[in-house]
Amino acid sequence: MKKVLMGDHAVSYGVTLSRAQVIAAYPITPQTFIVEELSEMCADGRLDGRFIMVESEHSAMACVIGASVAGSRVFTATSSHGLALMHEMLHWAAGARLPVVMANVNRTLGPPWNILCDHSDSMSQRDTGWIQFYVESNQEALDTIIQAYSIAERVRLPVMVNLDGFFLSHTAEVVDVPDQEQVDAVLPPYSPEFKLDVADPHTFGAICLDSNFMKMRSGIQEAMDESGKAAIEVDNDFKEIFGRHYDVVEPYRLDGAKTILVTAGTAASTSRVVVDAFREKGEPVGLLRIRMLRPFPFAQIRSLLREADRIAVIDRSISYGLSGGLATEIRAALYGTEGSHPPVFGYIAGLGGKDLVPEAISEMISRCQKGQRPAREDLWIGVKS
Amino acid sequence: MSNKYSVDTKKAPPGSITFSDMSWNRTGSWRYLKPAFVRKVSPCNEACPAGNDVEGFMFLAGEGRYQEAVEKILEESPFPGVCGRVCYHPCESSCNRRTLDKAVSIQEIERFISQYEPGCYPQPGQARQERVAIVGSGPAGLTCAYHLAKLGYCVTVFEKEKALGGMLRLGIPAYRLPRRVLDGEIERILSLGIEVKAGCRAGQDVSWQDLMSWDAVFAAVGAHHAVPLGIPGERLEGVLSGTAYLAALNMGRPVGLGERVAIIGGGNTAIDCARSALRQGSRPIVVYRRTREEMPAIAAEVEEAAQEGIQIEWLTSPVSLRGTNGRVTGVECVRNRLGEPDEDGRRRPEQIPGSEFTIDVDGLITAVGELVDLANLPENLLTNRGAIKIDSWGRTSLDRVWAGGDAGTDPRMVVHAIAAGKRAALSIHATFEGQDLVELEKRVRVGPNGHISMRRYLAADSPHQILISETVKPEDINLEHFELVGRVRSRALEPKDRITGFQEVNPGYDEQSAHQEARRCFHCGSCDLCGICFRFCPDLAIKMGDEPGTNRLNEFYCKGCGICAQECPRSAIVMERET
Repeated sequence: MKKVLMGDHAVSYGVTLSRAQVIAAYPITPQTFIVEELSEMCADGRLDGRFIMVESEHSAMACVIGASVAGSRVFTATSSHGLALMHEMLHWAAGARLPVVMANVNRTLGPPWNILCDHSDSMSQRDTGWIQFYVESNQEALDTIIQAYSIAERVRLPVMVNLDGFFLSHTAEVVDVPDQEQVDAVLPPYSPEFKLDVADPHTFGAICLDSNFMKMRSGIQEAMDESGKAAIEVDNDFKEIFGRHYDVVEPYRLDGAKTILVTAGTAASTSRVVVDAFREKGEPVGLLRIRMLRPFPFAQIRSLLREADRIAVIDRSISYGLSGGLATEIRAALYGTEGSHPPVFGYIAGLGGKDLVPEAISEMISRCQKGQRPAREDLWIGVKS
Repeated sequence: MSNKYSVDTKKAPPGSITFSDMSWNRTGSWRYLKPAFVRKVSPCNEACPAGNDVEGFMFLAGEGRYQEAVEKILEESPFPGVCGRVCYHPCESSCNRRTLDKAVSIQEIERFISQYEPGCYPQPGQARQERVAIVGSGPAGLTCAYHLAKLGYCVTVFEKEKALGGMLRLGIPAYRLPRRVLDGEIERILSLGIEVKAGCRAGQDVSWQDLMSWDAVFAAVGAHHAVPLGIPGERLEGVLSGTAYLAALNMGRPVGLGERVAIIGGGNTAIDCARSALRQGSRPIVVYRRTREEMPAIAAEVEEAAQEGIQIEWLTSPVSLRGTNGRVTGVECVRNRLGEPDEDGRRRPEQIPGSEFTIDVDGLITAVGELVDLANLPENLLTNRGAIKIDSWGRTSLDRVWAGGDAGTDPRMVVHAIAAGKRAALSIHATFEGQDLVELEKRVRVGPNGHISMRRYLAADSPHQILISETVKPEDINLEHFELVGRVRSRALEPKDRITGFQEVNPGYDEQSAHQEARRCFHCGSCDLCGICFRFCPDLAIKMGDEPGTNRLNEFYCKGCGICAQECPRSAIVMERET
């Protein structure tokens, strides 16, 4: 059924259709609408789940970890400082191999105080063992939540679905809300072989000081590899039922493209308009949207980017003293290709809610077309002078 | 290694999960602090002049163990039925639950419990040689007799009236304290084998000199003489004192007052007189010189009097009494305003010139205070401000003579009289035993500012229980573990049904109400087996006991984290350095 939904509410519908059983959350803008709607869904019976109010995001994550160990399908949502506060528990969820699903509505971190969008919150958590998606539309937000449970429960890793604060969270779009029966068909109930159960007692997360520890750590990496494949399988199943699907990376007009824009999230939508404009002028420009950041889709990226002359990466965050995170990772991917590889121009733009307008993206393309190699690893766009 | 659970290693889970128990990991070896299950002093226990273990009987009442609850009270006070009705309940004023919602209705619960007969009746102690004379059978005298008899003494009570009870009988109307309740509790006291000489006034029917030949004397003669108003016309016919009026009424010789009766005063006697007069068919009016705020009467009594339609003239003082043919016909009054506070901290009334007015009356009762009959005391007995001079152990200026209650310098409340009786009993006993009262005081006092506990004296508490003389403050309570629960209302008769006679105004809680209200108790500083320590312990190192004070620590596994002490809702766990 088609509905006009804000991105936050699209996520809430995705969670309800996934039949989450335990939701624990602490409010933070721009995430709050997600759990607000879910609390009402729990209260009025649309969702047969328990909603647990907690006193912090750290507790929210700890709470869903506990519920997940007990065998429940769980959900939480957060943003920005909330995600930062969860940091320790993010490691725990992944280390304990729990299929926790979380929506992170991207928002920058203060100070200076700012509630608007950039990706510094989720980019700071790339090393925690969570699968990460960055979505571009409200429809994709809803669909990715459902896919996230499928992937998480197959590979036993937690999944973070990132959506841009305000650009998606507070913006209404037409969303096709799937039927429950269709979702049930792609997402069976969660039933782990081991769970907290007084009739079958185990300690979870128990101490492990020997080489088993290394084994469990390498197991996480193996599961990450597996999840790349699982994402494709899940998407294929999804396509069969719903007719929609999403690749882990999404190419746009890459045929013969000499200059390729790379970005994630809603910046891709604006970039498409810019790419079209360059193409109309006869310039071979294309776009690659990164939908899945973890596991990093090395193979797809290498095969799609290696033939380009120039690559312009738009990062909505920066690793201070290095460069934009996405640019760094694209460089790392290309470094592994045979022969020479195209220079990567790493643009830092759109921080703290700064609009990424077509003119700014055009400027990035023009600038990188002029230079042989970037002057620096980080090229800033839109800094007040 | 043999495992309790068989594991298919191919199906082994990806995270770390144990398949055998962890009991080999004796986390107790990490500990340098250790929790101790203690009993601190609850503020109600510290506030109770009678030394009652309020927290203790709340626990028993909350468990529905009413018979044991009454036994617990009887360890300290022989008058649960009396105090459950007429006490001014300082316990409730100190209740920590006030900081969450409302104080626990301790008095109503005590009163409910008091209807149960103890399974184990108070017994006289092993007989001793010493004989003790107790002069006065009010709450002080009878409490002293009760505790001395339980300690084995041969006790004789001398009472000037035909019936025992002192002010409990003479001063308190039956609608507040039914006679069957008073009679029952007195009978229980006397069943300890106490000899009674009723109708025998010390100083007249028996000389003080004779009494002084006993091994010890407790003078608890009360304060029965009315303070005069000190205004013209007091000798008119139709003017009588509140104590005389109530005594006559309560001894079955009611005095007719006429239709319109003015009562002068603002204490409990004044309110008792007004409500009694109303029940006798008069139309009473209370005249008090200050405001309700300063009124010494128990607030609930004033409230009930107002509900019954009794008029109270605040900020009004009588100036003179008018009479016709020697009989009082009116009281001339003047209005006051409140000035600066006087020595007791209450604002002093100042007369407003030109505000004089007259209340026409058929009778007038004075109730502005009671005096000790100083003329009828042993020779050479020192007095202080109109009462017998006593020290902190109730000893007078005369050897082997103790005093207390209204006759001493104690606050003039029933429960303070009970306290004085107990104090004298223990003081007399300790003196005969040659015990050091200074040392004794430290041992028997309930908390830093508390009163004497017989239970503490007799060391009746479990030897496992660690008693700490520290009073639990509101901030020591972990309010996270309590929900807002309203106080259970007591059932009062409708005013129109009350005033038809002297039936009890408040029929008290039923069982369900008493139980529900007792469950509101925080049990400040005492374990009530809530199990929160057990549930929060990460090492399952707490073994729950069957009775408060019997929880045990599994020292092999307690790693001293302190979560139990932090979470304990009632501050009954403290962390101590490991020895």
